[in-house]
Amino acid sequence: MSAASIPVIETSGLTKTFKGVHALKPLDLKVTQSSICGFLGPNGAGKTTTIKLLLGLAKPTGGSARVFGKDVQHEGDEIRRRIGYLSQDPRYYEYMTARETLRFTAKFFFDGPRSEIERRISETLDLVGLTDKADRPIKGFSGGERQRLGIAQAQVNYPDLLILDEPAASLDPIGRRDVLEVLCRLRKYCTVFYSTHILDDVQRVSDTVVILNKGALVAQGPIEDLLARGQGAAFTLTVKGDFAAAETRLRSQPWVSGMQVMARNGRVNWQIRVSDPDLAEDQLVPLALAGGDVTVCEFGRKAQNLEDVFLSIVEEDNHER
Amino acid sequence: MSGSASLLIPSRSRGWRMGLGNLLSKELAGWWRTRRWWVQCLVALLLLNGMMALNMEGGGPMNAGLNFLVTAGLSAPIAAMSLASDSIFGERHTGTAAWVLSKPMRRQAFILSKVVAHGLGMLVAWVVLPGVLAYLQLRPAIGNGLSGIGFMGALGLNYLNLLFYLTLAFMLATLFNGRGAVLGIAILVDFTGMMQFVALPVQKYIPWLNDIMPWKLMIDFASPGPLAGHLAMGAPLPTVTRSSPPSHGASCSWALRSGDSDEKSSRTPMQRLDEGTFGRRRNTRCRTELSLQRSAGSSWR
Repeated sequence: MSAASIPVIETSGLTKTFKGVHALKPLDLKVTQSSICGFLGPNGAGKTTTIKLLLGLAKPTGGSARVFGKDVQHEGDEIRRRIGYLSQDPRYYEYMTARETLRFTAKFFFDGPRSEIERRISETLDLVGLTDKADRPIKGFSGGERQRLGIAQAQVNYPDLLILDEPAASLDPIGRRDVLEVLCRLRKYCTVFYSTHILDDVQRVSDTVVILNKGALVAQGPIEDLLARGQGAAFTLTVKGDFAAAETRLRSQPWVSGMQVMARNGRVNWQIRVSDPDLAEDQLVPLALAGGDVTVCEFGRKAQNLEDVFLSIVEEDNHER
Repeated sequence: MSGSASLLIPSRSRGWRMGLGNLLSKELAGWWRTRRWWVQCLVALLLLNGMMALNMEGGGPMNAGLNFLVTAGLSAPIAAMSLASDSIFGERHTGTAAWVLSKPMRRQAFILSKVVAHGLGMLVAWVVLPGVLAYLQLRPAIGNGLSGIGFMGALGLNYLNLLFYLTLAFMLATLFNGRGAVLGIAILVDFTGMMQFVALPVQKYIPWLNDIMPWKLMIDFASPGPLAGHLAMGAPLPTVTRSSPPSHGASCSWALRSGDSDEKSSRTPMQRLDEGTFGRRRNTRCRTELSLQRSAGSSWR
């Protein structure tokens, strides 16, 4: 069996209900070895709940989950020995320094020798660029530094699986870039499963994507497959003038599935998702100009990116419910 | 994984001991490497020994000694319960509990490490340090009338009392989501022993509660008084009797009687304090007699 087909995470009908509310509807998920899997979904989609279930921090209401082929409910200890985890809002003991935090973390995994543990801690601090702040109390750390420390503690044990909940959420662009670089570097050592809202990052580093919406799985697969799924289905049209009537005309077309509107400098840009690209290519400009109240400045087929695909999938799913 | 990973020895602990040593080190560091230890020591010394010093001027050394034990019996548990609930809810609130629980360790180890570390910290801050100082304060005033071993025994009871409330608070903190509920219940239990309007109904309607609660150790004002008072003053320990077990429907209560048969020694420490007999009874042999008396018709074995 090749690494690409060995499942590291596998869930079957995994469900979680909180006081009658379905936080997670039956979820069948598969993440294969040595991949970087982006876990996407709007707020409240059930991403953090799924992660907590995988870590054994919450008990599922139904179904099962296996990590490294072991059941998360009964073999949680063995699973956690091989996992590195970064929570959404990482908090540590404020009186500890970064080095002490990593030492504390490392001692859950290793009995010694002390010199090797210290060497590993220094190596990890170096990896995330915290060597010069290693002996300062965490109390004074910025959000970005805490996030870096979070990544450091998550991989101090040489994990086979790294689970990161919003690893780049509180970082500036440089911090985000550094985190992505670290993820890419770790790719050859472990499988990375991470949730995020930053779709650009996912597109840059991920191999596979899982999309959740309202607690249910709506898409799962290699990123190329998802991008291909949305190919040619969006157009961009920029006009100037009194655009209200033109917008109404376009929205009323049955083959227009969605429109995003951005007005700037007296011009309006429409991102139009369509179900029939050929018809749209012929009809969009004539329809816009039909009233004679707008002038078309720019028109073209929009190159698909993950954000479009994500929005399209989530909106389609919302319509179907 | 890089080659150097193989030089590290994976942790061998399993079951409830998994992560215990590491967590215990962290909890102990939380006590002794932060300002917590000296803040607790300072509060305990000011409250217990400070009040005792004031009482010595006002009511005499014997009265001050008894008040020290009663105050310790009430306030040390409150400090312990406050720290215990802070420890659990603080970690829940900040999210450090979720972080630690994502590591290979057991929940039992998480709680046990806190109980042990807080138990040790409280022992030093609220029992040993104020206890030794209290002894040094009382000794010159009372002289040989103060039994050193008895006073140590009283401090031991104080610690037992404190441990009861510490573990109670930890247990409640794992069951409830609000700090208020935990502290409310625990403090109510603590004060039940001294509040007549609560203690009397408890004694009447749920007498078996007296058997399992530590009220008679430190703060019992009913005859013959708290056990710690008897011990500290070198007085004979009361006899503990029990009528029948609660499982058979018969009323069950521990009754405390003085071990000495003479009238004077059968009085409570409070009564004897009034008569000024404390401090003059030296080398009294402390006896604890436990007699189990079965009520008529009981088939308990």
